[in-house]
Amino acid sequence: MRHGMLTAGLILLGTISGCSSMGVEPWERDILAKEEMQLTTDPIEATTDDHIYFSKEASSGGRGFGGGGCGCN
Amino acid sequence: MKMSERRSITGALAAATCTLLGTSSPEPVQAQEEPGWDFNTALLYYGEDNDRVQDLSLNVLARRTFTDDRFLTLGLTFDTLTGATPNGALPQSVPQTFTQPSGRRTYTTAPGDFPIDDTFRDSRVALTAAWQQPLGRLSTINLGLSASGEFDYTHLGLNAKISRDFNNRNTTLSAGLAFAMDDLDPVGGTPIGLTPMRNADNDDDDDEGGNRGPTESKDILDFVFGVTQVISRNLLMQVNYSYSDSSGYLSDPYKILSAVDAVTGDVVPITQMPGIDGPSHLNYYELRPDSRRKHSLYTQAKYYMDGKVLDASYRYMTDDWEIDSHTLELRFRWPLSDSRYLEPHLRFYTQSAAEFYRPSLIDGDPLPEYASADYRLGDFDAITAGMKYGWKTGGGNDVSVRLELYKQSGNVSSSQLIGNQLNRDSYPDLNAIIFQFAYRFGM
Repeated sequence: MRHGMLTAGLILLGTISGCSSMGVEPWERDILAKEEMQLTTDPIEATTDDHIYFSKEASSGGRGFGGGGCGCN
Repeated sequence: MKMSERRSITGALAAATCTLLGTSSPEPVQAQEEPGWDFNTALLYYGEDNDRVQDLSLNVLARRTFTDDRFLTLGLTFDTLTGATPNGALPQSVPQTFTQPSGRRTYTTAPGDFPIDDTFRDSRVALTAAWQQPLGRLSTINLGLSASGEFDYTHLGLNAKISRDFNNRNTTLSAGLAFAMDDLDPVGGTPIGLTPMRNADNDDDDDEGGNRGPTESKDILDFVFGVTQVISRNLLMQVNYSYSDSSGYLSDPYKILSAVDAVTGDVVPITQMPGIDGPSHLNYYELRPDSRRKHSLYTQAKYYMDGKVLDASYRYMTDDWEIDSHTLELRFRWPLSDSRYLEPHLRFYTQSAAEFYRPSLIDGDPLPEYASADYRLGDFDAITAGMKYGWKTGGGNDVSVRLELYKQSGNVSSSQLIGNQLNRDSYPDLNAIIFQFAYRFGM
């Protein structure tokens, strides 16, 4: 647990500094602002799929929180 | 000219001058969504072959936009489940009789068939509520509640997530925390793990005596840390690390394992006394450890190519039950016109078995510390292939239909099979169909 959090922290710090050269200017966000370019375009589909796979497989979460909420697993 | 008119002209000129000089606007000018409600609704059918689980699910997600980028999201899900589910026992060349989870009656499985418990029937109601608002100029906070209820299960959860933009809003870091408290009240009481299946009492009273325990509970604590990065004008990426800690009753109260002969591999028969209704073969209730720690690494990329969007994600999960899994998902949104699109979807999944997964227990051997024959804890691969078609109505609302096929194929190591088990099915493969109709509208 502690080891995992430390690793995550280092990755995050590295990302902030390493990513500062990437990206776009504010006036170049036309494509990124499109609905189909959002990370979750269909929130209901994401929720129902997470629920189906949580019930039928031994893994859950990743995109968001993965725990609980159903007696199916 | 009247004095008041002159004053208003002076005011207007001053405002115009300030606007030109860029001093009149203390707040940065940002696009604001119009206040109002946005409804996402969907009807989902999930159906497995061979009369296994069927689920009809109604989902509503309502989002209210307030001024200053504040949002309230309310969710409602109603599921109706029917059908049968494998109970964990092995198929045999003779009929097998099992006691229903309620302890009232028995059911019998035909020779060669996977034993399935056909008394499975449930409905589930789930509610969610979430509030999102900015925290200063660069941060956002989300606070959420979730609750759900089934006949034998209740869930209550709280979650919070904070995110902050860096690098000209090209990098977003987020950290989230969720806590859930779930209670189980299994039909017929909670069985004591690794004790033999009980006899049926053939009366309609609730009987939770014998090898039945009280209601049980589990707690789940989740952490998620994420980075979202704009790589270029048409490429966006996200990486999340998540940690999940479950503790409490993690067994499935309805799953059993067959106890088999050490040489033939056949399930040990039981001779019932006259007038006693009970299992025809020796079976034990499963038992899992009371804690589980999972780590996942999830990464997603969205890539825009001349109107088309590729959405690719990969997840690696590992846990202290020795389950490792890999999930790869691809979606490709293909516009057919300004208002219509097609979206093919592929998902590949593979997992290794839990260390305590075993197809059977050997009669006469000492009982292991933990054991489960639940197919979901076994070694299997799964594939989903589907297609979504979406269009905009004349009124500007979104409609979509999707059809997907899900297939699971399991593999039990031959070192875990004994005698006649090598010639019989040892894993209940699964084929399911998913159909969803979705409608999104605003008010």
